Amino acid sequence: MSQKRDDPDRAVMLRVEAREADALGELYDRLGGRLLGLARRIVGVGGEAEEVVQEVFLHAWRAASSFDPTRGSVLTWLLIATRSRAIDRLRSRRSASRPETRSLDELGEGPAAGDDVEANSSVRQWATLCRSAIRQLPEDQRRALELAYFEGLTQEEIAARTASPLGTVKTRVRLGLMKLREHMRPYWESGTHGA
Amino acid sequence: MAHSERHEEVLAGLALGMPPGADGPELEAHRSRGCPRCDEILAQMELAATALAAEAGAVVPPDALRARILSSLGPSRASRESYSGPLAWRVAAAAAALLLVAVGLDDARLRREREDLRSRSAQLAGRLQTAETELAQRVLRARVLESDDVRMLTLGGKGPQPNAQARVFWSARARRGVLVAGQLAPLPPDRQYELWVFLKGKPVAAGVFDADAQGRALFESTDFPEPQAQNFAVTIEPRGGVSAPTGPIVLVGSPQQG
Repeated sequence: MSQKRDDPDRAVMLRVEAREADALGELYDRLGGRLLGLARRIVGVGGEAEEVVQEVFLHAWRAASSFDPTRGSVLTWLLIATRSRAIDRLRSRRSASRPETRSLDELGEGPAAGDDVEANSSVRQWATLCRSAIRQLPEDQRRALELAYFEGLTQEEIAARTASPLGTVKTRVRLGLMKLREHMRPYWESGTHGA
Repeated sequence: MAHSERHEEVLAGLALGMPPGADGPELEAHRSRGCPRCDEILAQMELAATALAAEAGAVVPPDALRARILSSLGPSRASRESYSGPLAWRVAAAAAALLLVAVGLDDARLRREREDLRSRSAQLAGRLQTAETELAQRVLRARVLESDDVRMLTLGGKGPQPNAQARVFWSARARRGVLVAGQLAPLPPDRQYELWVFLKGKPVAAGVFDADAQGRALFESTDFPEPQAQNFAVTIEPRGGVSAPTGPIVLVGSPQQG
């Protein structure tokens, strides 16, 4: 994995590690919108998404020293934490036999997510590259990855949802991630941003 | 069993947080015998999966959520332990200021300075940024300097920059190093300084850095390839760095000096 030398959020993260509350606020201003967009995509628009983001920033505050810049950027670290917590909540709903459909509140008045509100130029650049990489995936691979990433489905569940053989789904997921990896590798290795 | 696509299919699922399923035990047995390729692929797939988050887009982060987060933190730390320790080395006044930050200035002073600056006019915003940068840099260097196996080596100027001086602090355990340099010459935009770690006489790239307008540089390398660093050098290279030195050496040390 390439060393990320110029992650613009890293200096802020160091101040978070030094227990500066202002720095955590700055981190929220820089990345909070992106994390909330992801949480809303997974658990829906509502209070639960904000709870997820609050948990993630508290995790960043308490476990700042566990951030390892050699394994990715601050944004990557926080996105992984956000996705993990949001998927846990989604699976918890399922295991509690709560309806899969989201409530009216969750579907309601929240603003649409997009990159036009992204004020952080380095994150906007990262998002543009990611979208480009995703667009280059074959439709069946992209669909399988989205079902796994945003809905937390297993490969067996994806096979059932898409009426595809399990072996085919496994291949799609593997190839999709491998292609994303190849598309993103030059960006990681450029060291311009660590995400 | 040799590494196979079947293993990678399980790794892909793990990268997406899926349970390993029926093939999990076989992968576990395979990895228990040592498979660096599996480790690398899993780490890269986890990173690649994060690209999917871009599809979710961003929203304007609500101020109310920001306030809730900050109010739930409890008291933030007022100060950190100060560092003190003898450093006989003196470089130019500008570089010495950086070293003072490294070994003696404490966070409390920086914090006080920052708070004072906040209460002044916008004309002082530049100084505020400097104080915050110093504080961040100090924390960064503390990762090395707090290590109980920290070592230090002096580097002297050479070739086109005989007056340049530097010190490298490094921790084999932390696999990190910090270079503090002074009296470096400004470089063209397409050039950067590159730090090299000598291992058994061979230079290994440890990262690129720039000097500020005063010729100072403070650079943390987390690229230390091996703990047994024997010597260090700095060369001038194309921006972004190269895998083997091509430009003139401007700083070099020797273990005997340390």
